[in-house]
Amino acid sequence: MPKLVIDDREIDVAARTKVIEAAAQLGIWIPRFCYHPALGSVGACRVCAVKFIQGPVKGVQMSCMIDAQDNMVVSTTDEEAVDFRRHVIEWLMLNHPHDCPVCDEGGHCLLQDMTVAGGHGLRRYLGKKRTYTDQYLGPLLQHEMNRCIHCYRCSRFYQEFSGFRDLGVMRSANQTYFGRYENGVLESPFSGNLSDICPTGVYTDKPSRFFGRRWDYQRCPSICINCSLGCHTVASIKYREVKRQEARFSEAVNGYFICDRGRYGFFYAGLEERSRQAMVDGKEVPFDQAVKVLKEKIEEIGRGQGSEAIACVGSARNSIETQAMLQHVCQLKGWANPSYLMDRAITKKVKSAISRLEPELVVSLRQVEAADFIMVFGADPINEAPMLALAMRQARRDGAEIAVLDPRPISLPFRFTHLPVVLDDLSLYASALIKTAVGRDAVKELGQNATEFYDVIPDVAGNSYPVKEQISNLGEKLRSSQRPLIVCGTEIVRETTPQLAADLALFLRAAKGQAGLFYLMPGANAFGAGLFSRVEDSFEKTVEDIENGAVKALVLIENNPFWQFPNRLRLKQALDQLDLIVVFDYVNSVAAQKAHVFFPTTTLFESGGVFINQEGRAQAVPQALTGGIPIAQTGGGDHPPRVYGLGISGFEARTAWQILAELADLELHSEEKLRSKVWNWMIETIPGFAALPPIGELPDDGIRIELGAQPSARFSMEGITKGEDLAEKFELIPVEWTFGTEELSAHCECLRDLAGKPCIFMCRSDAEDLNLTDGDQLSIELDRGIIEAKLRAENDMASGTLVIPRHKDLDWQKMDNGRALVPKGRIKKIT
Amino acid sequence: MNFVLDAQEKSLLEQIKTKLPEIGNDRSKLIPVLQLIQAKLAYLPAEAIHVVAAHLDISPSEVYGVATFYNQFRFHPPGKNAVKVCLGTACHVKGGDIILENFERKLEIKEGETTADREFSVDRVACVGCCALAPVIVVGETVHGHMQPSKVEGLVLRARIEKEKQEREKQQK
Repeated sequence: MPKLVIDDREIDVAARTKVIEAAAQLGIWIPRFCYHPALGSVGACRVCAVKFIQGPVKGVQMSCMIDAQDNMVVSTTDEEAVDFRRHVIEWLMLNHPHDCPVCDEGGHCLLQDMTVAGGHGLRRYLGKKRTYTDQYLGPLLQHEMNRCIHCYRCSRFYQEFSGFRDLGVMRSANQTYFGRYENGVLESPFSGNLSDICPTGVYTDKPSRFFGRRWDYQRCPSICINCSLGCHTVASIKYREVKRQEARFSEAVNGYFICDRGRYGFFYAGLEERSRQAMVDGKEVPFDQAVKVLKEKIEEIGRGQGSEAIACVGSARNSIETQAMLQHVCQLKGWANPSYLMDRAITKKVKSAISRLEPELVVSLRQVEAADFIMVFGADPINEAPMLALAMRQARRDGAEIAVLDPRPISLPFRFTHLPVVLDDLSLYASALIKTAVGRDAVKELGQNATEFYDVIPDVAGNSYPVKEQISNLGEKLRSSQRPLIVCGTEIVRETTPQLAADLALFLRAAKGQAGLFYLMPGANAFGAGLFSRVEDSFEKTVEDIENGAVKALVLIENNPFWQFPNRLRLKQALDQLDLIVVFDYVNSVAAQKAHVFFPTTTLFESGGVFINQEGRAQAVPQALTGGIPIAQTGGGDHPPRVYGLGISGFEARTAWQILAELADLELHSEEKLRSKVWNWMIETIPGFAALPPIGELPDDGIRIELGAQPSARFSMEGITKGEDLAEKFELIPVEWTFGTEELSAHCECLRDLAGKPCIFMCRSDAEDLNLTDGDQLSIELDRGIIEAKLRAENDMASGTLVIPRHKDLDWQKMDNGRALVPKGRIKKIT
Repeated sequence: MNFVLDAQEKSLLEQIKTKLPEIGNDRSKLIPVLQLIQAKLAYLPAEAIHVVAAHLDISPSEVYGVATFYNQFRFHPPGKNAVKVCLGTACHVKGGDIILENFERKLEIKEGETTADREFSVDRVACVGCCALAPVIVVGETVHGHMQPSKVEGLVLRARIEKEKQEREKQQK
């Protein structure tokens, strides 16, 4: 523990801490351009110079390059150091253009701040400035290379930290250039971070270009709800519109960075086509009137069919308040128990994942970085939860081994082992891994159940698995690892896989004293949805109830089943049977257009809310703006509003839980009172929420909801067998993509071009068997219709599998719930 | 400027492509591969960058990044009349930079580049060893001493007329 003195103050720091970090711990902020805590030191910018007065090094030195050591006496304010830094700024500014007034970075530019702070106000250099040609880098970032001060942060982040290679350093010395080889869209789904880490305006946020200075925005902490990880963001609001999102540091969740889906996935909140008025039968009506009409209609149905005929459906993008209020209101009014998740299998998988997240096993996203072996079952990190891929890369950089068992063609920005196995066999291989990785002795302490379970697992050696050798190799590596981590998806896998992933983690923990478990879930608040759902509740069951006439009225709370329900025709026919469709939503969805009664609800930016991410972390989002139609839309461009009235236009939207409360005639206190009422109700009645503090007192990094260990759920070999041989059939798997398949971010104009074209993936050997080649237009005949898209033949995916991204431009919803099997003869090439 | 490969260069590049597997596709082979291409083609055309990137399975920006770091690699084909303008101490004092600037203006290219018809390329050199003749330029193998801005036009014109003459003779034959 080196002890040193910085500016006459003593501090003890951990070994190998750089002096710049030691100073930061004392609250002394040494200027820096190239140094970044996540990227480390390179000593390129020379602006963190301090004077070492005593100790092993002496004189003016770079504080980011020198480890803190005993007996060091450091001065950041020494005259020589200050003068040195002043001159560094001056030469960094030699070539920097005088374009601050038209530069988007102006106002939050580190270089600008340092130049002003360093006292370099007048330019002495009269020579020519070096200039560069800028590049087109895609719809997200603007490139302006003349402003560059060569700190290397961008290439270090892009190549070293995030593992993509198409942007880098070119040329040398005075001509050093940061960019791509030629114009083109950046390949990394983390490229937006360049605008955060660039200390000046070389990379600036393109969608919000020329819209405002940092101080023009209302900036508010927020959370990303475009996947289940719940990364922290800062939302910037101007003229009643969210205009920009930046990454917000979070020690527990995302660290310093976020992915592009999260950064740019907020535009749904300010869309012009967003409905802002309550509607009855397609006509805009005042809010109170719509409530009145709806109450009457519901009462009528209740009288005729019984209150059980009213079914409510929440979603995984509801805030906890909405989910709880929905549960509460349904109980009060005697309506059918609400469902939240799309189908039975998903409900079951999410629920079992929640119950298996035992306190000793669960890890946060940041803790993924510390693992030394990561075993992934049925998850595609870069497509399902991009920030997980970034965390896994950090583990890989520290030497971790990573293996993925998944039928899809998986691409990750680091070296890993991919075993493409069909979904049917995934659980079997997971169980085989248990046997190869953990010895029988270690199992004993987990009890009788565990040993019995262990003994039932079929032995790898005696079996004819096609990937037998790889499995035993992985098992060996897992056996010798110190800090193993199991990552498991819940979206495409069979119901047994999340269970087995947890069992494996338990066994590893018993053997090594340490093991982690990390699930991915289908939606920002899928955890909450799983907690509120009963095992038998799902939208699939609601549809069945509609079909058999038990349900006559459907209330969809921020849910658009048309987006994800696998059988669109069936859904349409079911909805046509209903007497009443009610939709509460903030996006103008297909379901909203079908609604008899529609209520506009607020987005999380307008009302805040609590969301529980996939590890059970309840995180609060404060309200960032008061709502209303963005000024750019009310005035038609930048003109002031042309129609004057009291209040803000488009302000009628309320939170979904407020509308629910009105429907149920709950006592309408103030919004805050009502919110804490439902919160307290939830804490009292729903197991698992008991540990939560009163609303408004959640810490910034949230609180993890812990349900405790549930030994009864452990160790079951039920349903784990080798899948039947589907020689003549393909299994169709609809999957998620980084862009273009998630509902909210699919509304974002700037992400549209990044999504790629709809396609169908097939294993190359399968394609050759069927005489198909990469790029052929395919038609796949299903029981409910035909899917047409281009074929992409991939080497690295499971044979006997067809993978279809649920692309918004692809009409894929033509399958039944459960497994979709396609006989070979139904796959044809369109000529 | 992007130069279109002529027939000979294309066939050379194809030859190199067939040789690449022998060298191996480890990324440490990047510089030897680039040197090989430059030895054959005398410069690194854009096509070659893509060939190398595909061969070593790295991104073109990495190949270009390494290639542009070193002074030994050229990205423009040498002109038939390779003009080297000396900017050593003596030539600098005698106004070599004015000569260079005149070439750049006359040929409408920057130093280090080649004209689109590949007739001229302009480079700066440090010293050609005949400082008494400063400012000096070298065109091909010929040294021109005591250069003046007014002589630049003459040199360029002479080379162009020479070329026209040769073409006429070719046609007559």
